[in-house]
Amino acid sequence: MTVFLNTCITFLQSGFVFALIAMGYYISYTILDFPDMTVEGTFLSGAVAYGLLVSHGINPWLGLILAFIVGLLFGTITGLLHVKLKIKPLLCGILVSTLLISVNLVAVTAGLYGDFAGESSAMIPFGRDLETLTAVFPINLIPNKIGIVSGLRDLVLFLVMVVVFKLLLDAFLKTKCGLLLRAAGDNAQFVTTQAKDAGNSKILGLGIGNAYAAVAGALYTEISGNVNQSMGIGMVVIGLASLIIGLSVFSRVHRMKATTKVILGAIIYQACLTIAQRLGMPSAYNKLIMAIIFTIALVLSERKKVKTKATKQPNGKESANHA
Amino acid sequence: MLELRNITKIYNPGEVTEMTLFENFSLSVKKGEFLSIVGSNGSGKTSMLNIICGSIPIEKGEILIGGKNIVGIPEFRRYDRIGRVYQNPAMGTCPSLTITENMALADHKGKKFGLSRGVTKSRIGEYREMLASLGLGLEDKMDIRAGALSGGQRQAMALLMTTMTPIDFLILDEHTAALDPKTAELIMELTGKIVAEKKLTAMMVTHNLRYAVEYGDRIIMMHKGGIVFDRCGEEKKQTTVQDLLGLFTEISIECGN
Repeated sequence: MTVFLNTCITFLQSGFVFALIAMGYYISYTILDFPDMTVEGTFLSGAVAYGLLVSHGINPWLGLILAFIVGLLFGTITGLLHVKLKIKPLLCGILVSTLLISVNLVAVTAGLYGDFAGESSAMIPFGRDLETLTAVFPINLIPNKIGIVSGLRDLVLFLVMVVVFKLLLDAFLKTKCGLLLRAAGDNAQFVTTQAKDAGNSKILGLGIGNAYAAVAGALYTEISGNVNQSMGIGMVVIGLASLIIGLSVFSRVHRMKATTKVILGAIIYQACLTIAQRLGMPSAYNKLIMAIIFTIALVLSERKKVKTKATKQPNGKESANHA
Repeated sequence: MLELRNITKIYNPGEVTEMTLFENFSLSVKKGEFLSIVGSNGSGKTSMLNIICGSIPIEKGEILIGGKNIVGIPEFRRYDRIGRVYQNPAMGTCPSLTITENMALADHKGKKFGLSRGVTKSRIGEYREMLASLGLGLEDKMDIRAGALSGGQRQAMALLMTTMTPIDFLILDEHTAALDPKTAELIMELTGKIVAEKKLTAMMVTHNLRYAVEYGDRIIMMHKGGIVFDRCGEEKKQTTVQDLLGLFTEISIECGN
């Protein structure tokens, strides 16, 4: 029982955190059709920005805001490379995430030791004396352990963050600016004939997508207990897998908001991974399992698409599940 | 109103496939005129529209709207005062947005797209009325995604949406070509009605000679980047579909087809 409950808490915690990346991908990948590789870098950048502030004793909430801004900034750079310099989406992401490897490394060494050289193993440890999010108001009002269940603070914190960011995204997509963003992904020429630059909407979308990834990175430090240079690896797969699993598993549930589906997708994905680990799979196989589950999700969602195309009625009520 | 002056357009300059489409091409359109443009494929009709809207660059020349040169103004800014309906009905609407959301976007053209509510609730009634005036039953489907509509329905919406906000110019790029004859007729009637009601200046490229004669105050025929036929006023009133067809055949024979 204890094992079961703690397993649930583990995958719920990571599910909530990675749901933020998946929501970011909902903007860049689903709405704008942009396979954004920048996330590997911005996830870590968010963690670094947060970690540096926290390790210097600055309020972690400010750290979270800084993480958001850093993600927004580098996502915007990806967008600018694509829109202004006409570089292909995949390459833009690879370029920015590559340059971020250096940026993150230098930021950590410079931030901790005042040394700009950078060392490949540079990491920010999160000792017990640090005022992290789970230690400051109002999360510290929650007991971390009730009976046999531990890790409650993290769980509540992550849940609250996910809900807040989901509601913000839902609200944003319903604003004029959000409507224009969705239109830019749907039909860029239409936005042009509305006398608006579709490129600006794309840049904004990529900025927000990466800001979400960076916040996820910052929150993830609470689970990992440190900020290390390999944290970002695999985040593209985690984010996209969560997104695609969520959207395809719940594709027939029209009443559910896409953002809700995406969060559930992230939880399902993490549940699968956690179960595989608990069944005795060595952790070295983690990324292999991640890739395999993602592949299965991709194949299934493609199958579903073909099926729905074949059975779709001409005036099919495939209505507004997009907002 | 609109004047094209000495336009030169060369495709693929400096390459083996270099092709000069326009050389010192000029055309002027008066305010309130409904100009029909006919001509064979490759004669430069759509290129001309693209040049006016800024979708393709030109090598030389001036495009004057109300006496102001707009060469160098980016495409999206030119649409401040230009409305355009494309041949492909999918181009005029956003498939994954609902009808209401599409209408709200069009309604807001030219203004700032900030963080206020995307669909203004108080406007929905008006959208419904406008849709009802199309007579296609769209007013009952306002929460359906535009992608689920038929080509004709989408084109009708596109036409309605383009003319919702004040514009100087309506550009119609073979906008009935992808529709079945009955729907095409409907869209064309709607076009005539809207242009007359809003007193728009319209430029319509079409392969349907009957529409060209019936709706245009002025007809031009283009051929190899030039205007081979230009009639307006009394002269135009006497022009028949047969005249146009005859000229078409003549040109084709000249080309050795």
